[in-house]
Amino acid sequence: MATTKFRHVFGRLWGFATSCKKRTTSSSNSIGTRILQRDVEKEEFQFASTLCLSSYYSVFVVRLAIMVMLAILIGLLTILTWHFTKIYTTKSLNSLAYDLRYELLQRPILRMWNILNSTSEITIAQVKLSQYVIRSHGNLTTQEDQVEMYEAMRAVTWALFASRKALNSITVKYNNGFVQAFHRDIKDNNTFYIYSDLANYSIGASGYNSELNYSSLSSQESSWNDNDNKSTVWYRQPLDPVTGEKIEKAMQIAPEDSIHIAGLSQVPDGVASWRVAVSKFTDSPLLSAALPVWDSSNKSIVAVVGVTTALYSVGQLMKELVELHSGHMYLTSLEGYLLATSTDAPLLDNSTQPPKLKMAVDCENEVIRLGAEYLRRSSGNKFPPSHEVHVANVRLGHDRYYIDSFFLNLKRLPLVGVIIIPRKHILGQVDERAFKTLVILISASMCIIVIGWVCILILTNGVSKEMKLRAELISQLEARRKAEASSNYKSQFLANMSHELRTPMAAIIGLLDILMSDDCLTNEQCATVTQIRKCSTALLRLLNNILDISKVESGKLVLEDAEFDLGRELEGLVDMFSVQCINHSVETVLDLSDDMPKLVRGDSARVVQIFANLINNSIKFTPSGHVILRGWFENPNPCSDNANFLMEEKKLQYAQKTIRAKQHENHAKRTSERDKKAVLWFEVDDTGCGIDPSKWDSVFESFEQADPSTTRLHGGTGLGLCIVRSLVNKMGGEIKVVKKEGPGTLMRLYLRLDTAGDATEQHCLVDIANNGLVVLLALHGNMGRSITSKWLQKNGVFTMEASEWNGLTQILRELFHARSSAGINNGFDVHYPIPESLKSRLLSIQEIRNPVFVIAVDIGLLDLSTDIWKEQLNFLHRYLGLAKFIWVLNHDTSNTIKLELRRKGHMMTVNKPLYKAKIVHILEEVIKERNHEMQKKNMDELHESDYTHCDAASSDDSDISESAPCNPVSSTEKFEQFDLLSRYRINNCLIGLTDEHSEVKTPRKEDSCQNNHNSPKSMSAEQAYFPREAHQGEDSERRGKEEHRIIGGLARPANGKKSLEGLRILLAEDTPVIQRVATIMLEKMGASVVAVGDGQQAVDALNGMLGVEDFRRDSNLNERNTRSSSPQTEILSSPSYDLVLMDCQMPKMDGYEATKAIRKSEVGSGVHIPIVALTAHAMSCDEAKCLEVGMDAYLTKPIDFKLMESTILSLTRRTTS
Amino acid sequence: MDVVTQMQRQLLQYTSSLFKEGFLDDQFNQLQQLQDESNPEFVVEVVTLFFEDAERLLNELSKSLEQESIHFRRVDAHVHQLKGSSSSIGAQRVQRVCIAFRNFCEQQNVEGCLKSLQEIKQEYSLVKTKLETLFKMEKQLFAAGGSSVSR
Repeated sequence: MATTKFRHVFGRLWGFATSCKKRTTSSSNSIGTRILQRDVEKEEFQFASTLCLSSYYSVFVVRLAIMVMLAILIGLLTILTWHFTKIYTTKSLNSLAYDLRYELLQRPILRMWNILNSTSEITIAQVKLSQYVIRSHGNLTTQEDQVEMYEAMRAVTWALFASRKALNSITVKYNNGFVQAFHRDIKDNNTFYIYSDLANYSIGASGYNSELNYSSLSSQESSWNDNDNKSTVWYRQPLDPVTGEKIEKAMQIAPEDSIHIAGLSQVPDGVASWRVAVSKFTDSPLLSAALPVWDSSNKSIVAVVGVTTALYSVGQLMKELVELHSGHMYLTSLEGYLLATSTDAPLLDNSTQPPKLKMAVDCENEVIRLGAEYLRRSSGNKFPPSHEVHVANVRLGHDRYYIDSFFLNLKRLPLVGVIIIPRKHILGQVDERAFKTLVILISASMCIIVIGWVCILILTNGVSKEMKLRAELISQLEARRKAEASSNYKSQFLANMSHELRTPMAAIIGLLDILMSDDCLTNEQCATVTQIRKCSTALLRLLNNILDISKVESGKLVLEDAEFDLGRELEGLVDMFSVQCINHSVETVLDLSDDMPKLVRGDSARVVQIFANLINNSIKFTPSGHVILRGWFENPNPCSDNANFLMEEKKLQYAQKTIRAKQHENHAKRTSERDKKAVLWFEVDDTGCGIDPSKWDSVFESFEQADPSTTRLHGGTGLGLCIVRSLVNKMGGEIKVVKKEGPGTLMRLYLRLDTAGDATEQHCLVDIANNGLVVLLALHGNMGRSITSKWLQKNGVFTMEASEWNGLTQILRELFHARSSAGINNGFDVHYPIPESLKSRLLSIQEIRNPVFVIAVDIGLLDLSTDIWKEQLNFLHRYLGLAKFIWVLNHDTSNTIKLELRRKGHMMTVNKPLYKAKIVHILEEVIKERNHEMQKKNMDELHESDYTHCDAASSDDSDISESAPCNPVSSTEKFEQFDLLSRYRINNCLIGLTDEHSEVKTPRKEDSCQNNHNSPKSMSAEQAYFPREAHQGEDSERRGKEEHRIIGGLARPANGKKSLEGLRILLAEDTPVIQRVATIMLEKMGASVVAVGDGQQAVDALNGMLGVEDFRRDSNLNERNTRSSSPQTEILSSPSYDLVLMDCQMPKMDGYEATKAIRKSEVGSGVHIPIVALTAHAMSCDEAKCLEVGMDAYLTKPIDFKLMESTILSLTRRTTS
Repeated sequence: MDVVTQMQRQLLQYTSSLFKEGFLDDQFNQLQQLQDESNPEFVVEVVTLFFEDAERLLNELSKSLEQESIHFRRVDAHVHQLKGSSSSIGAQRVQRVCIAFRNFCEQQNVEGCLKSLQEIKQEYSLVKTKLETLFKMEKQLFAAGGSSVSR
């Protein structure tokens, strides 16, 4: 378990080290690979990598430091703990041990002291008693007296001897040489009385003695010695130890065998003497004391008393003590002779006779010997007096000992006590414990250090991981910031580029327009220029797409909310695309249900863009077949079930949709219910190659195409559908690809648009039913024909269909020959078996009373490749009287055909595609014609006036659709008059109207888009202006009977009437150059201009005007007529302005301030003078600022002629009409 | 007549070179289109106006930038004016330098401003000489009996 753990830890450490290495190597590698990249990147990378490495190193160092510090800390703790436990214990123990040793030694010493004391006392007592006895027997005259005295002495001495059991002997030696002694043999427990033979001592001796008493001490001594030397007879008589009775007969003994008798020699100076003696009877040293007995006169020594005490009891005590405490003790004399030991070792050297005391260093006990040797070594031979030795840790032999020596300074008998106690006895446990503690502490601290290291490793590992994560997070954040910055750069770049790119594009297109309007181009040049024009337009469209995407992505796209005619927009769109489709033999069909609201609110340009993109896409991928744009209306109010159904359907199909989208949906639903928004459903159905179901979602991503090869085959960037989806979502709708039967793609989308006014009011068309109409649709495209037919039948119109020439002829024959029975035979007339269904239809037609036949003939049905079409035309011409012919022309139908048709009186021509509105108009016209047949004579005139109207409408309205009904009321007769219009135009220009329109339309459309980017407001203004423009054009046409067109941004000088004729414009501009240029431009457009230098002047000029406003209104009409003739005087007499062009940056008062002031002064007057900002700032924030202060539109410098014109027109129309 | 056509060609070449080299842009074309019988000297007039205006502004700018503490807002306003007028006659190189100048102004970069001023002066003198040459050529052509510019 432990090993595995250890291995794990080791593995971690190893892993850490290797990973460090790897990091360094990998980073250096990658640095190496990146070295070729840009410097900045490299530097950044190096910086990052060094940062990374340094952080790793720092982590490593910090780990090491923490580990080392932990180790040091724990080591210190261990040592301190050990130290304190050990030292303090040892110290206290030592002091205790010292006390113990002291006490231990003190006791034998005390015993010794006691012994000495008692010996001394007894000696003194004996002396006193002896003196008393001797003095009482003062005059020893006789032997008897002497004996009596000796007897008395003996009794006294015995009494004393018996009283002290510890005494070894008491001796009394008289000056006459007589000896009396009691001796106790401790070994045998015998008591002896030893005395000398009394016969040898005479009275004379006593006399001699008395004589001696007076002699000098030296002489006395000599006499005593003499006495000793005499051979005397000594007796030893054993006694009863208790009673002292003689129990045996006295035995004669040699004096030398006797005990040591203290003699005069021992008391030479008359004071007590102490010595340690050895006797042969005992194996322990004896302590002997001797005192002289003085005579009464205190002049002479009468006797010497000696007392000996065995030191045996001291050794005994020592043994007892040592048994208790172990160790050894001994007492020595000052010279080093052993007096007592705690051992049984003999104290006497028996090898000599008489035995001598042993030196301590010669002791048989090893410990004592070694201790003594040690002491002698340490203090030298000369033992210092009053010097105590205390050594705590002495190695003697194998063990350690305490050695203490105490000096007992007794007078005449100094003693040294030594105690040797094994260290083990006192500190044995302590040492053991200390050692164990140390071991435990060290091992514990090692464990702690190891565990701590592991913990630190793990913890710091986590920290380093976290650091790594943080570093990554930081780098991610950095990267994100950079990405955001670069995206910001992107949008800025796009915003800047938009201007930079579109300006030259606009210039190119404008110049091309100018070039195309030039009459002296050859056909070839014209074709080339047209091609260039198309390419430029395509390029501009691409640019606009990209800009749209960036705009949508950045969320800057703001949808405008204006009322527009959805149907008309879509018709225009289909018209536009049908031109493209003709080349592909693709049929473009518009199929809008009748309940579609006519007017809706929303951003028409964006709605058109959606369908334009979708249809464009469909056409691109549809080589043949049809493209149908279907639309129907879903009223959300009455049928919440329906909405639920829709929701469910959506849920089913978009199960993977995000919650946000659902919320969005719900939100959209709620808002739609609240705001009564109409849900308009559309389908774009084509018969192209289709989209793989797996790509149904991804095709809406930007730069995503269903098939990568499409770019090569069809071009495009893959932005179109992305824009569509963004826009659809923005309009609260959704788009998806729906499964369809058969080949092709079916895109279904719905939009939520506000319905303006009564949604269904406009549906009711002129009652085309019940007029006995029979429509023969001889159209090429199956889809369009069947849809039209179905719709007509639904509306109560009888229809028949023919898809090719033969079918047409057959039906015609059946229809009319059955009626008129006028058999006509020509080459085209071939009999075919008529199908039963047709027959039944024919039959039912024949039941119709007074039918009106309308035959819509596709020009494509005629054989145009050869001249046969003329014959066919002639054939059909025969039916002119019987039926109304509507010629459905292609855009590229040649003028010869048109001319021929016109020549034959086929006036009603219409361009493909034939959608509802056109049919309605035609049929209405047919009905009207029938109803007013009597007015047929005046037809030419009618046509004329209608033509002018239509032409104006179509030319001015060409931005939207070249032949869409520009005005629901006025354009009803347009199509019928189309041929006339064309004829009229041929006078001016050989280019067909339709061609020209199709060419002119596109740039205008693009331009308007461009305007839209710069200023949505002006765009809306422009759009609002178009219908009015139509009126204006109409008016001017009527007046001048001349065409007025704007091409390439320049008014044609040939036109008498200028676009801004009669307008009075106040120009506030400080820069003289711009002022001049703008003035000329405006004057060129026919406006009269008053230029002022700053905002203050502009405000002043306008304030003057407000005063005369009423007047101006009254005289408005007159002025209109007369102003052009004398504008200058008009300005002076009536300084009133239709519009202000305001530079934003001016001295004194800038444009914003001036506008504010003007708006302020207008408050309450009900007047609103249009103010157009002129600024060099092209940023949208400036635009917002302009609009905020109350300006109506916004023009950027340099002033674009056309843009300025259209802006001014839109604003002035709005106010004046 | 040969002389006239040659001169005409020269003039055209010169004009197109001016466009190609970027001295002038579309705006100048517009100016030329604005010139007609009622304003026969329109282009010259406007350009002269521009010269006067530009010289005044350049003087002001030089003065402003020589001062100790530069009033960047005033400088910016001047440059803005110059930009407007140059863009109105289509002197796009001057206009471009003006844009750069304004950026420097925003950053309050004195060195950049001075550098831009020098550049503007240079560009201005260049475009001035070019335009004067152009007008001279036009005049000669007119004197020689040719019709004006590119009609």
